[in-house]
Amino acid sequence: MADAAHHRGGFGAWLLDPKRRGALLVTPAIAILFVMNIFPLMWSFGLSFFNYKASSLKVPKFKGLDNYHDVLTDEKVWERFQTTAIIVSASVVLQLIIGFLLALMFAKAFPMRRIVLMLVLTPMMLSFVSVGVFFKLFYEPTFGIVSFVINLFTEERFVLLGSPEGAIAGIVIADAWMWSPFVMLLVLAGLVSVPKYLYEAAEIDRASAWRRFWTITFPYIKSLLLLAVLFRTIETFKLFDIVYIITEGGPGSTTETIAVYLYRTAFQFFKTSQSSALAYIVLFIVIVLTNLYLYAVNRRAEEID
Amino acid sequence: MKSRNVLRGLMGATVLAASFGSAPAFSADITITMAAPDWPPTRFMKEHFDATYTSPAGHNTTLDMDFIPWPSFYERVAASLTSGEQKYQMIVTDSQWLGAFVEGGYYLNLTDRINADPELTAIMQDLHPALVSAYSTYPHRTRAQLEEAGVVPAPGVNYYGFPQFPDTYVTYYRQDIFCHEGEMAAFQEKYGTNLPCTYEDWQDTDWEKFAQIGEFLQRKKGDMLAGEVLDDDFYGIAYQAGKGYDFSSMQINAFIWQQGGDIWDESKAPDAQAEGVVNSDIAVKAFDQYLSMIQYMPPVARTGQMDIFVEQDLYMQGKVGAMIDWVGLGEPVLDPTASKVHDKSAFGPAPGSRQADGSIDRTGNIGGQPFVLTTWNSDEVVDEALNVVKWWLKSDTQLEAVKNGGQSGLKSVMAMPEYNDLRPWNRAHVEMIDWQKDVWHIPEFFEMLTQQQEEFDKAITGQIGAKEALDAIAEFQQELLEDGDYIK
Repeated sequence: MADAAHHRGGFGAWLLDPKRRGALLVTPAIAILFVMNIFPLMWSFGLSFFNYKASSLKVPKFKGLDNYHDVLTDEKVWERFQTTAIIVSASVVLQLIIGFLLALMFAKAFPMRRIVLMLVLTPMMLSFVSVGVFFKLFYEPTFGIVSFVINLFTEERFVLLGSPEGAIAGIVIADAWMWSPFVMLLVLAGLVSVPKYLYEAAEIDRASAWRRFWTITFPYIKSLLLLAVLFRTIETFKLFDIVYIITEGGPGSTTETIAVYLYRTAFQFFKTSQSSALAYIVLFIVIVLTNLYLYAVNRRAEEID
Repeated sequence: MKSRNVLRGLMGATVLAASFGSAPAFSADITITMAAPDWPPTRFMKEHFDATYTSPAGHNTTLDMDFIPWPSFYERVAASLTSGEQKYQMIVTDSQWLGAFVEGGYYLNLTDRINADPELTAIMQDLHPALVSAYSTYPHRTRAQLEEAGVVPAPGVNYYGFPQFPDTYVTYYRQDIFCHEGEMAAFQEKYGTNLPCTYEDWQDTDWEKFAQIGEFLQRKKGDMLAGEVLDDDFYGIAYQAGKGYDFSSMQINAFIWQQGGDIWDESKAPDAQAEGVVNSDIAVKAFDQYLSMIQYMPPVARTGQMDIFVEQDLYMQGKVGAMIDWVGLGEPVLDPTASKVHDKSAFGPAPGSRQADGSIDRTGNIGGQPFVLTTWNSDEVVDEALNVVKWWLKSDTQLEAVKNGGQSGLKSVMAMPEYNDLRPWNRAHVEMIDWQKDVWHIPEFFEMLTQQQEEFDKAITGQIGAKEALDAIAEFQQELLEDGDYIK
């Protein structure tokens, strides 16, 4: 049959046969995915077992699992993981609080609500680099606006980024400013999905505000909150741009996240194989978090069903 | 119809004859793509090349500059080289990168070509030896080692680069403040010494006086300064104290060298040690002196973010009395559209450490960049690239560069009578260039530099002291260099 079709309509007709059309349509996407993603992933996975340096033309030697051992026993790596964990925890908690409060505010009608909502959503639409530069200038102690305002009261310049705690706070504030609106959107979606009659019934029963929140609102938004936590945790775990621009990992290395350290190892020190091993360890952590995220998504879907 | 064809034929023959008459038989279209940091010295090179360059070999040569912003310059060049794309025929490179990219097989060894070409040999002989040492040799040879050889090029030395922009740091200062009679008298009364006003005064300025200037000129909003009421806080001094790249090491190395200390000396490998040298008592004392002046600088210094561009910006905003910065950043300071102090600035040599005999040691860490050729170029392209090098290092090209914000490394050009008057910092540049040394060139330099910058940054931000920082640096370097067989 195929031969007959081939003879009747030529190669084009044979190719566009409904039996092959599906495969034909997805082939370019798969080819691009393979070239741009899968092949580099496999290649870098292979590299992680050698002692390859991109800056050197020496033939790499097989090292087995040595790079993984070196990375996992490197004090610096664990310090960077700790720093990342502190920034992730502080930033995600702050985003949840601010996002939740904003959602409560926007769940009710008030004048110019749409315009204010649009303004509040703006930060998450900006590029990381812009946000980093904005906040670096805000925090600049000689002429930055934060120092200027505090100087009005204290007559001293405010040097936020001069201490590890201040620098972490500076990064967390910038990240929370950018991403709290995202949390707000998710929570707002949950809040508007609560049937109004439940609140009316609660009011008739004279339930307290806390009781109404805990027994009516919270069950509707808890899955979305979980989604927000997981999504923001995954994203903040990979935080690079804002840190690199605002503090470059300083003072010292106290704000250097694992993503910044990975970048330095790969592209400044050219320890290509070691950085590949570290990248796979980070990838593993992100995959675990992503699975938790997918689990939360599925639960939410079941709840809606 | 026939006459028109004859006319066409005649014109064709004329054009053909003209082309054969004017161009050599092997004329070719050559494009030299050069990776260059995006700033005035490289912008000028491109403009001047387009306006004046004629290939001596008769080629139709295009210089295609890939202007890259400074903050991403290293990463972009490194990514291009290691990716194997072979995009660049020439690269403006920091001298510290020589080891990494020579060992990687990317930078072309020019020793044989320099030896075989009298014009290039003459250029090398005319270049200041501090520049040849820093910009060209790998494995690194110090100026003393090169001078000991007695001939240029020195036997057994490998040469790679030529100066594109030889930079030194000098003092930028506010003449309206430093030469204000009231301020001068008050300074004299308080410290028993003069506030440096003239170039000669700055020649006699050491770090002690620089610290006094910092303390003296630190004023609050509402205070008087040079007869005017300040509308914002004012800071006496500034020098680089940034965590990024090498934005504190360059200045701290100067303090250490001037007081007789040292960094790990690659020219003495494998005998030179890091432990005991990097963290010697002299080095700790010198670093302490560097740290002691942070208090007189704009508060951004206490965040470890006062890099060379930040201090330049604050100076141009009129918030700083005197700063030490690279000559390469001088042009914007004199630009009335960018600088509030364009008509108030003067220049002097950078301060140094007073020696027992009363002289001042100004040893500094060289700045600026050489350009190099890449290994994948054909012989034809290499020859033409070297023609470009010769054009750039010709006296008249160099003079034009200097007039337009560049600098020269040629001794003959720096010795010209008109040279010092071409730009206001030239006299200081000539004085400072003789004091220049360079940091390491080995492939591991970035790892050493990053760790060192981190430890310096901890000290600058007050988390640890000078000794703790230098101990950590020495320990790290000793281990790294032993692992790399640089220390036996």
